[in-house]
Amino acid sequence: MSVNETPNGFTLDDSGRRVVVDPVTRIEGHMRCEVNVDEDNVIRNAVSTGTMWRGLEVILKGRDPRDAWAFTQRICGVCSGTHALTSVRAVEDALGIQIPENANSIRNIMQLTLQAHDHLVHFYHLHALDWVNPVNALKADPKATSALQKQVSPRHPKSSPGYFRDVQNRIKRFVESGQLGPFKNGYWSNPAYRLPPEADLMAVTHYLEALDFQKEIMKIRAILGGKDPHPNWLVGGVPCPINVDGTGSVGGLNMVNLNQISGIIDATRTFINDVYIPDLLAIAGIYKDWLYGGGISGMNVLSYGDIPDHANDYSAANLMMPRGAILDGNLKEVHEVDLRNPDEIQEQVPHSWYSYPDGVKGLHPWDGITEPDYQLGPNTKGSRTHIEQIDEHAKYSWIKAPRWRGHAMEVGPLARYVIGYAQGHEAITEQIDFVLKTLDVPVTALFSTLGRTAARGLEAQWAADQMRYFMDKLLANLKAGDSATANVDNWEQSTWPREAKGVGFTEAPRGALGHWLHIRDTKIANYQCVVPTTWNGSPRDAEGNIGAFEAALMNTKVERAEEPVEILRTLHSFDPCLACSTH
Amino acid sequence: MSSESHISHSEPAVYVYEAPLRLWHWINALAITLLALTGYFIASPFPTLPGEASDHFLMGYLRFTHFSAGYILAIGLLFRLYWAVMGNAHARQLFLPPLFSGRFWDGVWHEIKWYAFVAREPRKYEGHNPLATLSMHFLFLWSVIFMIVTGFALYGEGTGMDSWQFQWFSAWVIPLFGQSQDVHTWHHLVMWVLVCFIIVHVYVAIREDIMSRQSMISTMISGWRMFKDNRRVDTDAE
Amino acid sequence: MTESFYDVMRRQGITRRSFLKFCTLTASALGLGPAFVPRIAEAMETKPRIPVLWLHGLECTCCSESFIRSAHPLAKDVVLSMISLDYDDTLMASAGQQAEAIIEETIDKYKGNYIVAVEGNPPLNEDGMYCIVGGKPFVEQLRHASEHAKAIISWGSCASHGCVQAAHPNPTRATPVHKVITDKPIIKVPGCPPIAEVMTAVVTYILTFERFPELDRQGRPKMFYSQRIHDKCYRRPHFDAGQFVEHWDDDSARKGYCLYKMGCKGPTTYNACSTIRWNAGTSFPIQSGHGCIGCSEEGFWDKGSFYDRLTTINQFGIESNADRVGMTAAGVVGAATAAHLAVSAIKRAQHKGDEK
Ligand code: HEM
Ligand code: HEM
Ligand code: NFV
Ligand code: SF4
Ligand code: SF4
Ligand code: F3S
Ligand SMILES: [Mg+2]
Repeated sequence: MSVNETPNGFTLDDSGRRVVVDPVTRIEGHMRCEVNVDEDNVIRNAVSTGTMWRGLEVILKGRDPRDAWAFTQRICGVCSGTHALTSVRAVEDALGIQIPENANSIRNIMQLTLQAHDHLVHFYHLHALDWVNPVNALKADPKATSALQKQVSPRHPKSSPGYFRDVQNRIKRFVESGQLGPFKNGYWSNPAYRLPPEADLMAVTHYLEALDFQKEIMKIRAILGGKDPHPNWLVGGVPCPINVDGTGSVGGLNMVNLNQISGIIDATRTFINDVYIPDLLAIAGIYKDWLYGGGISGMNVLSYGDIPDHANDYSAANLMMPRGAILDGNLKEVHEVDLRNPDEIQEQVPHSWYSYPDGVKGLHPWDGITEPDYQLGPNTKGSRTHIEQIDEHAKYSWIKAPRWRGHAMEVGPLARYVIGYAQGHEAITEQIDFVLKTLDVPVTALFSTLGRTAARGLEAQWAADQMRYFMDKLLANLKAGDSATANVDNWEQSTWPREAKGVGFTEAPRGALGHWLHIRDTKIANYQCVVPTTWNGSPRDAEGNIGAFEAALMNTKVERAEEPVEILRTLHSFDPCLACSTH
Repeated sequence: MSSESHISHSEPAVYVYEAPLRLWHWINALAITLLALTGYFIASPFPTLPGEASDHFLMGYLRFTHFSAGYILAIGLLFRLYWAVMGNAHARQLFLPPLFSGRFWDGVWHEIKWYAFVAREPRKYEGHNPLATLSMHFLFLWSVIFMIVTGFALYGEGTGMDSWQFQWFSAWVIPLFGQSQDVHTWHHLVMWVLVCFIIVHVYVAIREDIMSRQSMISTMISGWRMFKDNRRVDTDAE
Repeated sequence: MTESFYDVMRRQGITRRSFLKFCTLTASALGLGPAFVPRIAEAMETKPRIPVLWLHGLECTCCSESFIRSAHPLAKDVVLSMISLDYDDTLMASAGQQAEAIIEETIDKYKGNYIVAVEGNPPLNEDGMYCIVGGKPFVEQLRHASEHAKAIISWGSCASHGCVQAAHPNPTRATPVHKVITDKPIIKVPGCPPIAEVMTAVVTYILTFERFPELDRQGRPKMFYSQRIHDKCYRRPHFDAGQFVEHWDDDSARKGYCLYKMGCKGPTTYNACSTIRWNAGTSFPIQSGHGCIGCSEEGFWDKGSFYDRLTTINQFGIESNADRVGMTAAGVVGAATAAHLAVSAIKRAQHKGDEK
């Protein structure tokens, strides 16, 4: 039993009842969470454990750098593609390869498509059940639901009472079958669920609508990358050639495909504007006093920036997604971030299941080492293969602990939006002000579980708008007579230097993502990924700083400790991806 | 020269290779040459041809030639097996090297010495010399069987799961190697084993024609082995 | 194919009265009035939806992502009307012990009549603790859930073959499902990921025809895995003609020529991409200009660069391919032959000299 202050300002007290949630569900991958709650059911200690490791960094050694995208892409099928893009950028950086303008537009369209899709699917299919009670939807009056729908989103055509009655009947039949499938053992009688039945029915209906719609969005990536999940990428550009008027134009991207992409972009914007954002605001409106879960979002946030407007320029000014770092909640100062500086980004492993030759010191990813070392602390309850309670004073997670200038940072949509807001990013400021006004909450409300969820929705909306921008840009460039999609000058290994190192970055849906690599004799000599959920899901570091997940859980009051819906809410607001975090 | 030779009489010429065997040899040689050439260019095709796809069928012809030659090779081998039963003793030599005969290995050793310029004179054989028998059996025969089995396994992939080629070959060969790509790799590698065999074989055939005590190339054309001296003929079996 | 829930209860000696009582409890647990009791009873007496436990091991969840992209049938209809997706940690509402309890409940109620669908695979090194679920190695959950399953579906290349985490040197000893579960029928649906409609078709085939699809020797449904991409590739006429993409974005690429020289693995890959295609028939890798990387094939991750036509052979730490090995060997043999020829000629000349 102990009480201690962390350098990043949290009081950890493990004297209360220990509650274990394993598996944490409705996330990607495997995760465990343990908290201690005091007699008032308030969380006073939080421990998050990444419970899987595959060793991609070890596996990548010795391979052809041009193949690395295909391996790293398979780190995750949910943010599929963002690792691949990061990887080809890292290799291009190492070899000094410049990509054509069209390739930049196409890559941006693919990345923005992922943002829009991933956020939408997260909201409805991974997060919604933390706020929405499908069983309660059975009590709704379809007429009243229809009225609610028309009120929150007058433009959405699927709003008749009959439509909602049909959906309700379907759910009824489903529930009556006695086989509740994925809704089984949910916490449906927990008073933490607050929506009126009509809102529940509307949200459940959109759960199903969104499930049908999301697959349309990804057709864009099927056209440009051949399939989704896991489309194809290329060092030096994109693999899809463009041929809008020559012989055999069916072999590349042609007018039909371009039109199809255009159409899907418009439909995506419509769905996000008319369904996602209204639902988000309606749900947030009802829960707006549930302002838990801020964690370190009001203090330390980090973003590398992404979506280069023009090709090959990765400077902050050319990136349409904001770049920078905020420390100690000082929104007046946005720090520059340098991914090459050995003193900025470092990963530590004192509480992670890895070992460094020099145990404690953090390593910059270019010097990174990935050497697994599974061992449990002396205070573990249970055994090596049957963990009942983890010992967070020892090594306790497969996630490493990345730090920026020694600070634990939160990354992700909220971090980007806070940085963008601090920088006066026009679109972001406008979106945030609109939400704050609509919900009638102060700006500090952003630093919460709901703020994170809201930022994600706004970002989906922004991403869909930028898809249009890059589509138009692509068409304009084609009109001007440039149809190049790949630069093959340095494709052949014979053109490469003996030694090279590079770094590539993106803003993945869940936050700042970087890949650092060394190439030696045309092969990968070292490859290190520092991933959004590595940042957010980070265990404690050598100084005892807790990571973003753990911080966000702190001081949350839970209704029923044995029904962890509040824990799920806050963890889900980060959209954890464990396959990503440990890779 | 050690002389344990026990055949006491010698003739200036013996009829060793009957017509079917000779015919097979030359058809077989042609088929393998074609297979290696077309196989190589299947794996590393010529530069792209301009124009419409319907104007050309280059890969198609290459592959067609490969498969036709493949069938000839396979049917030829079956026929050669039949002939090993029906033909004279020399027709069986390729298939049954007397591996348990000391005399045979002694012959191999002598032949190695001859090629290493240690022995001053080769021995004299009606059929193949022991070293030739050995390399023909292991490097040629088994390689060709391997090529036929893997070749038909690859061929069965094209003719489909319901074809006999697939059922007899692909169905077990592909999982045995792991996957189709591995079968390609091995099929390709063993081609080079055959290429090496052929280089040595042709060189040796010509060399022996000139330097040994019996005729060579003409034997594979006429069937008759001529001897350049009247000493005893050696034999490799006990 | 399964007995109804009612049948199971009767078999276990439960009376009709207690059955109805159970229905009443269920109704109230769900917040439904007594009016629902007869309807719950009726549903339980008729055919239940087949329960599916969808387990996740070491994976990237792209198989689930693919599944939800299915257009025919919609993923929604599969989950709501065809199967009972009792456990799937990426979608299920409950977490922690309530989630784990479902596995036990399903095993108890549907012994021998449920399906285990596996995405990802179990690592065996470090006592399995490279993948932990509920504090225990995933391989334990897999063994436990499989023990009473009717059959197992191995989704994707992870469950079927190991996929990228099993790539050399496979640090976690990630192991495909069939090497761990050896006493159950296993349907492999490889691909990284498999095509959405192929996944839902496998499920609906089982439900519609009440039998498992015909499998090939490797355990894959013949209906989708009996032909190579190359057999039905629309660029095949260019292959046959000898028209190839020689470089990315060259004229040939823009005309849609064959990607063989760019390393396309279509000729060695069994999958339905070139026929069914991806994302409701929108495209497939080759159609969008990149070769097939062979993602549904065993070991596709360890055959050398995806852009090489010839497989990389690693022997004695030297990297090579069939032609390099072969040409080196032929070169050595050729050179030795030439040298031998030279020596022979010299010896012969000397010998002739001797004779004179
Ligand atoms: C693809 C090329 C060739 C292959 C695979 C091949 C293979 C063979 C085989 C398997 C035999 C043994 C025949 C038997 O016992 O049934 C043989 C014998 C023979 N081959 Fe070839 N051959 C090839 C080309 C040639 C060429 C080009 C020549 C002539 C320059 C040649 C000359 C001979 C001779 C003289 C024999 C008889 C050797 C002896 O009696 O010991 N071969 N060959
Ligand atoms: C001495 C005998 C043979 C040689 C030297 C030979 C050589 C080759 C080579 C080098 C390849 C290319 C392999 C690669 O993909 O890297 C090939 C492919 C192939 N061979 Fe053979 N082969 C032989 C016999 C056969 C036979 C008997 C068959 C049966 C019909 C056969 C059928 C095939 C097939 C189907 C392919 C694949 C063609 C394709 O990918 O389009 N081969 N062969
Ligand atoms: N964390 C993470 Fe990812 C994302 N977004 C990757 O970089 O999810 Ni799988
Ligand atoms: S098979 Fe491939 S797609 Fe499926 S989970 Fe594994 S890595 Fe992802
Ligand atoms: S693109 Fe690939 S699959 Fe299509 S014909 Fe060419 S080699 Fe075959
Ligand atoms: S890479 Fe995979 S998706 Fe299909 S075309 Fe090849 S099997
Ligand atoms: Mg890493």
